Amino acid sequence: MGEERAGRDSRVMTPAPLARHILSLADTKRLLGIRYSDWLLGSPSIETGIAASSMSQDEWGHARLLYAMLKRLGFDPFEVEHERPAARYYSAPALDRPFADWAHFVAAVVVVDGALSVALESFADGKFALARSRVPKMLAEEEYHRRFGAAWFSRLAAAGGEGAARLRDSAGAMLPTTLAWLLPADTVHDTLVADGHVWPEDRVRDRCRRRVGDTLATAGIDLDAVEPARAGWDPERRRGPGAPGEEAVERARGDLNRDLFVE
Amino acid sequence: MRTGLDEGVYEVFARKSRGEPLRHIGYIDAPGDELARVYAWKTYDEENWFEMCVVPRGAVIPVNRVEGPWAKNVPEETPGS
Repeated sequence: MGEERAGRDSRVMTPAPLARHILSLADTKRLLGIRYSDWLLGSPSIETGIAASSMSQDEWGHARLLYAMLKRLGFDPFEVEHERPAARYYSAPALDRPFADWAHFVAAVVVVDGALSVALESFADGKFALARSRVPKMLAEEEYHRRFGAAWFSRLAAAGGEGAARLRDSAGAMLPTTLAWLLPADTVHDTLVADGHVWPEDRVRDRCRRRVGDTLATAGIDLDAVEPARAGWDPERRRGPGAPGEEAVERARGDLNRDLFVE
Repeated sequence: MRTGLDEGVYEVFARKSRGEPLRHIGYIDAPGDELARVYAWKTYDEENWFEMCVVPRGAVIPVNRVEGPWAKNVPEETPGS
């Protein structure tokens, strides 16, 4: 239990490989849930807003389950969920800022949510017992996110014009950092692969290609031609430079209702 | 199959268990069959449904009542009948 806690004190964590991986998945889901929730109102139809709301709830529920796994590794989930500043978040860089428009939202469902699901498939197939038992239900719920993303992405791409151009630009901007997030090229991640906790890179790439390759192609994007953006890689936070906006992190931590927490 | 940008109405049917008959639980607007499946599942998620189906409103043919939401689907009568 103590092995994964290396370097932790009350506020600053330097988690070992498995904890870093879980924290990265959990923080990305929590931020994705916040970004989805921004579109409960203002999406193209009532049904679309309801779907965005439901997907947001899914992401927050999944994040909660993932944070809870850290307890098994010796971390205090309350502290992890509610005490960290933005600079200590491990979320994918594509979620650092709000989605600018609906095309940006749809691109994120395909690119970021898709990458998360591939990462979870890999984790559920590994040696960590909690992932094997808890992640499959998440993946079943994620299947509706995949259908939503594929249908909307293809629809906007086929419509052409400004919507298709914005979709292509948004997806193109997210892909390099998200691929780097999905495929960390560092020794910490190599340890996870060697220990059988996650798939090796070629298997992840293949699964990613099968999950989102055809969808991205409808907007003229060739996934195989995208290079991961690894400049400025922070091996501790398992991501590139930057951090999510403070406003989003305040919401993630629940700062406004801190005095009302009942755990 | 609807594939354009126009929204269509889909009727939603569901049942909670294998032996229960499908019942009409509502409707949703969707621009295509695939999104209709997602919207229905995400909108009517208050139960742990065993089975859910969507049917384009345009595919429902009324039998005895020719007014109401499916009025325009009443087929033309066969000449001489």
